Amino acid sequence: MRLLIGFIFSFLSTVGFGIITNVPRRTLLPAGLTGAIAWIVYLITSQLTSNIIMPNLLAAVTIGLLANAAAMWIKAPVNLLYIPCLVSLVPGAIIYMSLKDFTLGLNGSAEQNLLKTLTIAMALAVGFVIAEAIFYQLKPVLQRWLATSNKKG
Amino acid sequence: MPATIQTDIIDLCGTVGKILLENGAETPRVETTVEYIGKAAGIDLSCHATMTAIFVDSNSDPTTHLVKVRTGDFNLQKVDEINTLSRRFTNHQINYDQLKAGVTAIDQRVIDFSWWQKILGAGLVSVAPMLLFQATWSDLGLALIVGICGYLATQWIGRHSQTPYIGVGVGGLVIGCLAVGLQLSGLANSADNIIVSALMPLVPGVAVTNSLREIIGKHTISGLVRAVDAVMVAGAIGAGVIVGGALARLLMGGA
Repeated sequence: MRLLIGFIFSFLSTVGFGIITNVPRRTLLPAGLTGAIAWIVYLITSQLTSNIIMPNLLAAVTIGLLANAAAMWIKAPVNLLYIPCLVSLVPGAIIYMSLKDFTLGLNGSAEQNLLKTLTIAMALAVGFVIAEAIFYQLKPVLQRWLATSNKKG
Repeated sequence: MPATIQTDIIDLCGTVGKILLENGAETPRVETTVEYIGKAAGIDLSCHATMTAIFVDSNSDPTTHLVKVRTGDFNLQKVDEINTLSRRFTNHQINYDQLKAGVTAIDQRVIDFSWWQKILGAGLVSVAPMLLFQATWSDLGLALIVGICGYLATQWIGRHSQTPYIGVGVGGLVIGCLAVGLQLSGLANSADNIIVSALMPLVPGVAVTNSLREIIGKHTISGLVRAVDAVMVAGAIGAGVIVGGALARLLMGGA
């Protein structure tokens, strides 16, 4: 049940961010699905482990693989899918809290949150690198499959 | 190849790079797109893009074309249209004149979702999945409205002021003010949850992640520029929220 609600809301959130950043309309649905699936991966992994690196890394790998495949499918730059999908994972709230604590003079928690921001962002970025490395191997297979299904269709 | 055609191609490539960078494409994509177009048009180009400027240079000629860029909001639809054009040009589906006309058209046209669609989008983003089971449902509902107000304030100020960072600062101020005001009036349970949730459309989380991706991809300069910019944005939001909260407390007479 929690997963279902999470799925729905992360889908909506991804589509919403897609609208704000003005993505082409044909990318909204694939982006929303990718974002929602990545959020489910995040939720499941974060129940199994207590650190914050693993869930973010796996979610980023999921986004990387699905978004690259979708980008080939709809012929769009992959970044158009990355940007909206990232919105629910990205450490935006934490970097805000960190800078807010600096403004209030709470240097200890500010530094802690800044470090957490960097950790999450690094985990996401490394996740993308891994996903792109995997996808580079899968690409010829997918291309062939797309070509044959186009011929049939 | 005559020199005038060559400068014309370089000029067009500069415009292409400028459109891509201004609307939120990452620097590696800008560079490769420009170089592909140059190659398809028949000259060997080198392109170097940072967050603030694009250099386009033909390898057989000492002249360099420099375009200054001021990066603004995301408008990924323009990125996509330029990408489609360059893809069709490199596949020889359209000729150079068609490419030029297309690029000029994209540069001048305002491509946008309508206002109410954007408001809806900002509202949806303001309900953060991160907080689904931490905040109460009524707080999330309020966050949707507060988030829309903050987003609108940011857009409106951004349109009327040239000062950088003031837009997001005012957005933070509006959100902080409303959230603390709602809590003091007893409508909301936790101002902090509303603030964090409603700030989602404004915070530079995507920028932080993209900056790290660029640094890993060895585009160190633009990565660092993006990271510093993100910290500045977050600082402006943080300061705005605190001032807004203080303002609300002052107005409502709470502690």
